[in-house]
Amino acid sequence: MTKFLKDINLKGKFALITGATKGIGRSTAVAMHQVGASIIAIGRNKSELSSLKKKLKTRIQCFQCDVRDYQNISKIIKNIKKIDILVNNAGTNLPEPFLNVKKSSLEMLLEVNIKAAFNVAKLCTDKMLKLKNRKKIGGSIIHTSSMFGLVGGPNRTVYSMSKFGIEGLTKGMAVDLATHNIRVNSVCPTFVATPRAKKYLADKEFSKYALNNIPLGRIATESDVATAITFLSSNAASMITGTNIIIDGGWTAK
Amino acid sequence: MFKKINLKNKTALVTGAGKGLGKACAIALAEAGAKVIIVSRTLSDLTKVEKIIKKTKGSCLKFECDVTDLNKFKSILNKIKKLDILVNNAGNNRPEHFTKVKKKNMEYLVELNMKAAFNVAQLCSRKMVELKNRKKIGGSIINMSSQLGRVGAPIRSVYNMTKFGLEGLTRGMALELSKSNIRVNSVCPTFVETPMVKAFFKNKKFKKEVLENIPLGRVAQENDVSTAVAFLAANSSNSITGTSLMVDGGWTAK
Repeated sequence: MTKFLKDINLKGKFALITGATKGIGRSTAVAMHQVGASIIAIGRNKSELSSLKKKLKTRIQCFQCDVRDYQNISKIIKNIKKIDILVNNAGTNLPEPFLNVKKSSLEMLLEVNIKAAFNVAKLCTDKMLKLKNRKKIGGSIIHTSSMFGLVGGPNRTVYSMSKFGIEGLTKGMAVDLATHNIRVNSVCPTFVATPRAKKYLADKEFSKYALNNIPLGRIATESDVATAITFLSSNAASMITGTNIIIDGGWTAK
Repeated sequence: MFKKINLKNKTALVTGAGKGLGKACAIALAEAGAKVIIVSRTLSDLTKVEKIIKKTKGSCLKFECDVTDLNKFKSILNKIKKLDILVNNAGNNRPEHFTKVKKKNMEYLVELNMKAAFNVAQLCSRKMVELKNRKKIGGSIINMSSQLGRVGAPIRSVYNMTKFGLEGLTRGMALELSKSNIRVNSVCPTFVETPMVKAFFKNKKFKKEVLENIPLGRVAQENDVSTAVAFLAANSSNSITGTSLMVDGGWTAK
C-alpha cells in the first residue's frame, strides 16, 4: 500500500455519525468502516439502524436517538468510551417560499440544523478532549453543510440561513480547537441522490433546474460525499482545518 | 471506496516537478499508479525525481523545459500520447513591499504565475479533449494556488495578484470544461516546508509571525499538499469542480 493510501486509514479510530440511517450519513458509515474505523451510529429509525448493523457486522454500535433530545444524546455520548471523529450530519430541510415560511418550519430547521448540530459538536468535543494524548493523535470533526451554506437558492431561505450558520460554526470551532489538534471542516454538496433529494428531483421542473445549474451535468452520489468526509477525517488531511470541501459539480463556481 | 484513489492507466503531467510541491505531487501520483510526465527547468532535479519514482516501480518521463517557453512546452505535448491529469504547479515568489516592487519582478511573476499557467492549462486542456472518450473517462486539472489566493499578506502584493488570478482562472475553466467532464480545481496551501519557504524561514521573526497565524501551530508538509492533489486528481472527487481545497491549518478561517 502506498504511503498515500495508508494516510486514509482509520484503524483504531472511533467515529460518531449522526443521521447515520440513510443517505450521506449511512454511506459515510460504510466508507469509514471500510477503511478500519469503529462506527457509532446515531439515528431515529430503529429498523434502519439494525439493517446498518447487519451490513457492517463488526465495529458498529447503534443508538436510537433524535439529536434534538439533549438529555438522551448527552447520555449516549457520555457513555461512549472514546470519540476521535465526529460526522455531524443529521439535518433536514422544509423548502418553502420565503413569504410563506411557517413559524413551525423555521423553528424545526433551527432546532435540528443549528441547535442540535451545535450541541452534538460541543458534547463530542468535550468527549474528544478527555483523551490525554489528543494533541498528539489529533481529532477531526466534519459538518455536513451544503452548497446552500455558500449561496442562496429558491425556497431555501431557512435552509441557507442554517447552513451558512454551520459554515460559521465550522470556522469558529476550527480556530478554538486548533490548539488541541482537533480539525474542524465541512462538506458542501450540491443535490445528492439521497432519499430526500430524490423526492425533490422526481419533480421534472426541479430536476431540470438542478441539472441546468450543475456544470458537470449530473447530481452528486452519496459516495462522492462519503469519500470527501472520509478524506477529511483521516491523517491525509492533517493540515486542513476551518474550511470546506465543495462537492457541487461547479454550481458555486458560476 | 479508496480504490477510487487509483490512477492506473492515467497519464499526469506535473510542471515545476523538480522540487518542492511539484516533486511531492509527482511522487504521490506515481505511487497511486499514474504514468507521470515531469517538467522542470533543471535537468539534474528531474533526474533525482525520476530515480525516486523508478525506485518504487513507478512510471515516469522527464522533460527539461521552462514553462514560459511556450513552443518548447508544445513540443512536449506532441511527444506524449494522451493526458488525463495536469498539476499546473510551476510558480515562484519574490516578496517585496508594494511601494518597492521592482518592475522586472512584477513582470517575471505575472509571466510565470499567470501567463505560463494559463498557457500550460490551455495547451493541456486541448490535448485532453482530443481523446474521443474523454467525456466518459473524465479528466482533472489542479492549479497550484495558495492561501494567498484568498487573503492578502505583507510584501505579497504581486504574489497575491497572481494567485487570486489563478483562483479566477480555476472557476472559469471549470465552467467551460465541465462539458468534457474535465474537472478543474485548485489547492491553496499555507506556508509549506519547501526549499523556497525554508529560505524565507531563515528570518526568525518571519517564521514566528507565520506560525502565529496558523491555528494548528505548524507549517504544512509537502505530503499534506500532494495528498490533496491526488485526491482531486482521482475519481474520489468526481463531483468536485470549480473550487479550491484549502490546506492552510486554519489560516483563512480566522
